[in-house]
Order: sequence, then C-alpha cells, then structure tokens
Amino acid sequence: MRYYESLYIVNPNYEQGKLDEVMKTVSETISDYGFKIINHLAWGKKRLAYNIQEHKYGSYVLLHFETESLENLDSFERFMVLQKPILRNQTVLLDDKPDKQSEKAPSREEDKKDLTKGNTEEIAKPSDKDQSKDNKDDLKVVGEEVSEPEETDKEETEPEEDQSDKVEENEEDE
Amino acid sequence: MAFQSKRKYCYFKENSITDIDYKDVKLLRRFVTDQGKIMPRRVTGTSAKMHRKLVRAIKKARNIALMPYTNTSTES
Repeated sequence: MRYYESLYIVNPNYEQGKLDEVMKTVSETISDYGFKIINHLAWGKKRLAYNIQEHKYGSYVLLHFETESLENLDSFERFMVLQKPILRNQTVLLDDKPDKQSEKAPSREEDKKDLTKGNTEEIAKPSDKDQSKDNKDDLKVVGEEVSEPEETDKEETEPEEDQSDKVEENEEDE
Repeated sequence: MAFQSKRKYCYFKENSITDIDYKDVKLLRRFVTDQGKIMPRRVTGTSAKMHRKLVRAIKKARNIALMPYTNTSTES
C-alpha cells in the first residue's frame, strides 16, 4: 500500500459552503479512482508566499489518501489541474502511513493567527474582490502604523502644555 | 582568541531529526536567507545527507507557495 499526501490551494474568494463543495467533488473523484481517503482537512486561509493567478491569499486543503495501484494517479493529477477553483496542487509520496488527524490541523501558532485574520477579513467584506481587499488591508496597516506614533506624540505634547500652563499660573501667582 | 570560530553542528543531528516536512515552514526558514535563497552548507553546518533532504523540502514548500522563490521588498 502506498500513501500519498496532496496539498492544494483553493480560490480564497470561496466561502465556507463553496469550499466544502470543492472538497466534496475532490473526495468523490478520489473515491471514483479507487483511492481511500485517510485525512481531508482544510487549513484555512493563508497568505501565499507569492501571487498565484493574482491572488495574494489562498485556502489550503490537506488530503491524505492510500492506494495500491498507480493507474489513476496521473488522471487524478490531471483532474486537479483542470479544476478551476484549485489554484495549485502538489501530491507527494509518503514513507509511512499518516496519522488520522482531527478537524483542526496541528499547524504552527503563527499560521493560526494568519488564518483567523483572513477569516475575519472575509466576513467583514465578502463582496470585495481579492485585490482591492488586499490593498485596503495594506492601507489599514499603514494607517495603524501612522496613528500609533501620533497618539504618543499627543500624549507627550499634552503634559508639556499642562506644565507650561502651570508655569504661567505660577508666574501669575507671583 | 581573536580568530577562534564557533564550531558548527548539524541542526538536524543535534535535534535527532531524520525527516524534514515541507509543511514545517518555521523550521525551513532557518536555512534560508532573507531573500529566500537556500543557505550553503558551509554556512549552516548541516550534514550533507540532511542538506539534500532540506533542499528538497524547501523546493516543495516553494512550489505550493508556503515559501517564496525570491523575496522582494514588498514583503516585510
């Protein structure tokens, strides 16, 4: 028995329901090819290291499956490439049988933070296109960076003014 | 002494890691420059065997966009 791991990226604009549909079609075709699914879990939305088809983010899905024959492996690869919602796919042969994992992948904490960020953004602006969203996010980040120093400046300046007022008051008293 | 350099050890041998997972980006990032280039063995001190595995893992991670091929100024 051979064990394979396939990691594929789904279009980030797809909502949870649509994503489930894509995963379902993948599961069905895999069963049709005679492969047995071990794991099929969504990692969630992550920032891509580089743009793929002008997408900055992508929904990662991890799939573990086992098979004895190599016949349909090529056709599976072909199927994944032809799927429009799937931006990229990579299938790797595993040495050992993968452990059955629970719904949430035990990924790094940093990644989880990214995922939560991405999800909230999508909920906030579902109608926006990907690029515009990304640009807005950049702007937001810039704005935050700018606003923070301003606040500190204000805090610094206000006490100074207070002090000057006090000095003036003192002078008046004298 | 002025020219006494610190001895380099293979990170994977120290931590007794035999297989490198391409999904473990946090680990792979140690062996990549800020630009995204794979660091040479003479710099990292990785053993030849593990370096070959490491290179394969990094290239897989690059293919699936977990790691950059090149890192331009756009990314922080």
